[in-house]
Amino acid sequence: MKRWGDEDQGMATLETTLMVVILVPLLFAILQFGWLTQRWLAQDGVALQAARYAGELGGDRPELRSYVAEHLRLVGIESSRVVIEVEPAYVTWRQPVRVSLRTEERIAVPFVFSTSVTVRSTAVARGEVGR
Amino acid sequence: MRDEGGTAAVTTLVMLPLLLIVLIGTLELGALRVVAHRAAAAADLATIVAVGDQDQNELARTGTLRLAADAAETAREYFALNLSATAHVLALSVDEIAASADVASFPTAPSFDPRTGGRYERPTVRLIASVPVRTPGFGVLFLPAVTTLTIRSASSPR
Repeated sequence: MKRWGDEDQGMATLETTLMVVILVPLLFAILQFGWLTQRWLAQDGVALQAARYAGELGGDRPELRSYVAEHLRLVGIESSRVVIEVEPAYVTWRQPVRVSLRTEERIAVPFVFSTSVTVRSTAVARGEVGR
Repeated sequence: MRDEGGTAAVTTLVMLPLLLIVLIGTLELGALRVVAHRAAAAADLATIVAVGDQDQNELARTGTLRLAADAAETAREYFALNLSATAHVLALSVDEIAASADVASFPTAPSFDPRTGGRYERPTVRLIASVPVRTPGFGVLFLPAVTTLTIRSASSPR
């Protein structure tokens, strides 16, 4: 003979399972999405400033690399994980200079997937050296 | 107790679509904010680049800052270049967006901007652009599948 308590317990277990399987991935997806967005915007800001500085310096210089590393550190990004590309390496007055920052970020949503995402930021400024 | 169990199942069924709607809306809104930020940054950099170049003859002759004659075109060109990073989510090409942008150069100061009603105390380049962004998530929710952002930026040399 079944008691009322047994049925209650079964229903509670089912509901908890549903909650864990649906809501936990949902919660993690929102957190990961927000984190990735924040990371992307922060990196974008650094790329923008770096492009302007590259224009002032005339291209890819050690000072630019130090500047980028310092600003990445300030926004909480480990600079050793960021690939910095400056094209062209040398620019003169009024030539466009493109600075790209690229990071591989790992995102994981429990029970659903785990993958790496490339976060890329690009900005183009203009050479100001040699006018 | 049996009735309560049924109620819980119905509640879950009703709440799940609602939860998904909120989730899709939130994600799309977040993605739209990112694109808006990037477009605004592209406009800022474009106007900064445009005012970074001065009319050298005027500067040597009178010592005053005066924007280069092609400042507006430079802003338009660099707006397109910087916007290209978000090209995959835009409903028009970056060249079309940049071409339709309202870019005005105010080479001398003080000057009055009839479009914004603003007064500039230094030479200024002002850019106002409509950036149409594809928002398929909103489309799923029977909202416009393309959302148009209006970006404004103005820069002056120091």
